[in-house]
Amino acid sequence: MLCHSFLSKTAFCLSSYVLLHASRKTFSNVKVSISAQWTPSILNDSSPAFSPGETWQDNRLFEDEKQATLFLGILDSIFLFSYALGLYLSGVIGDRVNLRYVLCFGLCGSAAVEFVFGTLTEWLHIYNLYLYSSLWVLNGLLQSAVWPCVVAVMGNWFGKAGRGFVFGLWSACASVGNILGAFLASSVLKYGYEYAFLVTSVVQFAGGVVVFFGLLTSPKEVGLSLESETGLGPIETDTDSHKPLMSDEEDEVEVEVYGRRGQSVEQPVEPPAESPQAIGFLKAFCLPGVLPYSLAYACLKLVNYSFFFWLPFYLSNNYKWKEAQADRLSVWYDVGGIIGGTLQGLISDFMGKRAPVLVVSLMLAIGALVGYSRSPNDQVINGVLLAITGFFIGGPSNIISSAISADLGRQDALRGSKEALATVTGIVDGTGSIGAAAGQVKMKKKSNWRIKQNEFGSMRTAGSIVFITPLLVRELRAMWTERRARQRQL
Amino acid sequence: MKALCSCMRFVALVLILNLFFQASYQLTELQVCNLCGGIILNSSAVGQFCFFSAGRIDGRCCLRNDTTNDPEHIIGLDLSNCSLTCVQDLQGASTAFMIDLSFNPIVNISDTAFQGFNKLNYMILPQNIDCPGSNTSWEKVEIKKGNRHCEGQRNMCNETGQLSMNCPENSLCAPFGPGFFECSCAENFRGYKCLREGEFPALQVFGPLAASTVVISVLLWATQRRKAKSL
Repeated sequence: MLCHSFLSKTAFCLSSYVLLHASRKTFSNVKVSISAQWTPSILNDSSPAFSPGETWQDNRLFEDEKQATLFLGILDSIFLFSYALGLYLSGVIGDRVNLRYVLCFGLCGSAAVEFVFGTLTEWLHIYNLYLYSSLWVLNGLLQSAVWPCVVAVMGNWFGKAGRGFVFGLWSACASVGNILGAFLASSVLKYGYEYAFLVTSVVQFAGGVVVFFGLLTSPKEVGLSLESETGLGPIETDTDSHKPLMSDEEDEVEVEVYGRRGQSVEQPVEPPAESPQAIGFLKAFCLPGVLPYSLAYACLKLVNYSFFFWLPFYLSNNYKWKEAQADRLSVWYDVGGIIGGTLQGLISDFMGKRAPVLVVSLMLAIGALVGYSRSPNDQVINGVLLAITGFFIGGPSNIISSAISADLGRQDALRGSKEALATVTGIVDGTGSIGAAAGQVKMKKKSNWRIKQNEFGSMRTAGSIVFITPLLVRELRAMWTERRARQRQL
Repeated sequence: MKALCSCMRFVALVLILNLFFQASYQLTELQVCNLCGGIILNSSAVGQFCFFSAGRIDGRCCLRNDTTNDPEHIIGLDLSNCSLTCVQDLQGASTAFMIDLSFNPIVNISDTAFQGFNKLNYMILPQNIDCPGSNTSWEKVEIKKGNRHCEGQRNMCNETGQLSMNCPENSLCAPFGPGFFECSCAENFRGYKCLREGEFPALQVFGPLAASTVVISVLLWATQRRKAKSL
């Protein structure tokens, strides 16, 4: 009975996060239809406007597709910013209010906002920039409530034992959500983009309802308790987790714990209510490793998010494929990301070192990006190249977001202080998302998406490599000295 | 009883307003017939056309109804000798087959004046004015007795197979006046830019979804939360 209830908890948390990502993916998948809805028809210079005006000309929210695209990019950035902000805030809230309520509120509230954003505005024909922006800010704030709650619930139910496996599943969560969202959206897209929003928001709302009726947030609710129950979240107080990653310890299982994290804007749980912030923001920022990882993560996140937000748009604009087809094809990037995250996580676990795996993968990623930008107009080849690119970019992104907690959490300055770890991880994750958000708008200003993606993608990837290099050097040196020490022993 | 009375009063008011608007619409429609004084002469081109088409002359208009249920619409318009200088909007005359604007000191005709006049097949204009939509929109253009005669409106749509080339995807071309065409959504397509296809199967999507949500919630509540004590 315990086993199946563990399973159901896992299923809850995973599916909440899956639903969230599905609805985010919906937005990126219908960008072509939305920008068509907001602009009048394009004409050759000499031809007169099409009549009747209501069918072809009258929606003039933006004069042409370029401006509409720019605004869509701004919406993405707005969402990311408010999501990052919400992560900081929801930590405070999640501590004081019942987790089940917060989780349900986040899911259902976000679903309602998405419904208003995509479906209601279309049914009522209200197209207003400020309305869209403020709704999307609200959406970001509501969605940010989900991740910390999910992490906290998992922390309540799972002791050290099952955590590696669970976090292993988790990394696939975001990508599964993307895939689900892509399929949902593409199936109903032909009826109108408003129905894509309708379906995903209703599904998400249903998920919220199920959570409300079924979730037990902690074993205490049914009178159970775990041996290593913490009530504090996955950042443990046990000494094992604070052993540095750099040394060859057999508790690589612990390393794995942080080796599997969702690949997007997550943050481990808020600091617990009892102890105050052990380290101030600025101090945490100055710790060794925080800065390089933040910057590297920002770069990588930008590339990842560019693909996430814009891939279907790019595919259907560049190759003139139908939007629904482009949506289905964009799934391959996530598939590659799942495989990449899992495989590279495993490899780096065996090696005990993160940086070499990262750097190799990132270098190959540059090659993959270049290769992808030269992809021919063929769906099969494009899909394969997408999967390869996803493998090499999704993998490091996943590991970096987990390596942060692993490495940084093992520094002497932070030993024994779980609040500080959360702060540090929060800083790195938050900075990463803000950097990614800022980069979105900058990228959209350029018109030729393909070239810019190639350049910027490679630049950003190279940037990540640059930032990780000092850590790589340190790890390689450590590996070398260990090897020599072991040889001398023999 | 009182409610019924006020309800009936409301219905009566609606009916009266309806009749009023219908009458006023017909009034506007006939306004073009009284744009200038006089009536159509039997000897004029429009007059003869009216006679052969079994229409009724009213002011400068020739009216006819296709079936007894339909209201009458204009099939011919004779505005010759009306001292018109500018032709902008001939409201209500979009169903006309024949329009006569000869012997008017017309300076210009607005570009969209004849938009929607897809039945217009014969026009008589002063010699100095070009046929609306340029001479290429008409089968035959000739100058007779000091007037320009435009005959046979050409269909602007390139008819190559099912969907014409003029119109964007998912829409069909139809004539919309001399030199104009309109793109209306093809079968099964609707909405802005004809992007939407078919009817959303709401019942098939939400029925199973609602059912499964209820079932799962009940199941989970029964097995999980019922044992929960409040913390």
